[in-house]
Amino acid sequence: MNLPHLHLLLNHFPIIGTIIGLGLYLVSLVGKNDGFKRAALIIFAFMALISLPTFFSGAGAQAAIDGQAGVSRTLMTRHEGAAILALFFMEFTGAFSLVGLWQLHKLGAPAGWTVATVLILSLITVGLMTRVGTTGGDIRHPEISDSGSSPAESEGTFGSVLKAFEPAPLKMTRLMTVNKFWWAFMMDLHFIGLAMIIGALGFIDLRTLGFIKQVPLASLERLIPWGLTGVALNISTGVLAYIGMPGYYSHDIAFWLKIFALVLLGLNAAAFYLTDTFNSVQRVGAGQDASPVAKIMAASSLVLWFGVITLGRYIQFYQDTIPQK
Amino acid sequence: MALPVFLRSIEDSTFSTWLRESESPFVFYLVLLCHTFGLALLVGANGLLDLRLIGFLREIPVAPLKRLFRIMWVGFGINVVTGVLLIISYPTKALTNPVFYAKLAAIGFAVWVLTKLRDVFADPSATDADLLARGATLAKWSLGLWVAAITGGRLLAYTYRYILYPFNNN
Repeated sequence: MNLPHLHLLLNHFPIIGTIIGLGLYLVSLVGKNDGFKRAALIIFAFMALISLPTFFSGAGAQAAIDGQAGVSRTLMTRHEGAAILALFFMEFTGAFSLVGLWQLHKLGAPAGWTVATVLILSLITVGLMTRVGTTGGDIRHPEISDSGSSPAESEGTFGSVLKAFEPAPLKMTRLMTVNKFWWAFMMDLHFIGLAMIIGALGFIDLRTLGFIKQVPLASLERLIPWGLTGVALNISTGVLAYIGMPGYYSHDIAFWLKIFALVLLGLNAAAFYLTDTFNSVQRVGAGQDASPVAKIMAASSLVLWFGVITLGRYIQFYQDTIPQK
Repeated sequence: MALPVFLRSIEDSTFSTWLRESESPFVFYLVLLCHTFGLALLVGANGLLDLRLIGFLREIPVAPLKRLFRIMWVGFGINVVTGVLLIISYPTKALTNPVFYAKLAAIGFAVWVLTKLRDVFADPSATDADLLARGATLAKWSLGLWVAAITGGRLLAYTYRYILYPFNNN
């Protein structure tokens, strides 16, 4: 397994996943099916997570084939610009989907504005993801182009409209790093987000494991939005930092293990939320013990979050530990 | 302006040089990592308590949160030790930067507020309403000061004037 392989392996998921999610979502809206709606929101949230390693592995895929005969850098840059724009919309779709899931849990149904926002964002995301897939395919698969001309020149109407909104990756990179105080501000938010995550989610984990048992577990539910706000803050600042210095992160083993730990955290959260464990902890009152399954999940979460901090701290040390070619 | 010579004396010591230049991932980077763990424990736990005292998270009972202080003091202890080690690693870098003193002042005030909060929780007869009434203002200061301390810490990586003691400054 290398970075180009990882990129090719992952890149179908955000595209096909969001299309399936959107299909389920539309059916849920027409058929007023709450189960489908919940499934669609979960898929969107998971696609937002899996889009991160997909995007991050793009730089590695590019480095591996850059300079080879028949590989156009223009096409790769176009693909990257399309990917940045699509990633932004994907992450917002995922964030609002989590808001919807929270409302579904607390109020019995997502609020009207959340439903509408997710609908609009996911429609745009599917459109942008299609573009990302097409421009990515153009890099290595000229045989799928209808016209004889090179794919970069033959933008359709759809493509040329979108191109106007797609950022130039190099400009984005410069924008993030041109002012050191902007960079410091992003890193500051990243550390504040870290404290929010450990303070909120770490406390839920500790209570689940038996610390401060006088606090009923259900009362800690309100901490979830605080923890997820920290996660959103850190995904935003993390993605912008990556765009600012892609070469710093893209071939770094600590960075990749950190992203892997984040995906594991997503799976852990899914296992918690999608099984009966989520309901079982709601019934854990003052002085009572959580179930062994809940404790295993809490311990995993705690270990993984501190693992994320550890690996983040070692990014600088393990720079360029993955070969470029 | 000549820089104080003691900065160079610390920097030239075997211990400082080892901390700074060791190629092992378990020397400087481990200190930095523990400093971040300390931050997570101290600010994570204190921030949670602050939010509750300010009036968020109303479902959570206040009095049992007294036990969070233990986590905060552990975090603070880790960061005093690792903070000193970081200063020993790069004394000139830290002590010639005004931001460093601002950060230290913010931490000093934040820990003073923390001891005040501890005193509030020391009264065993206090109800949750009492704790909220006595702690809300302290909590607002605490939250602001910790944000300032983290911001100061982050800025240290980008605002220093010297990394090491300059050669031409004898």
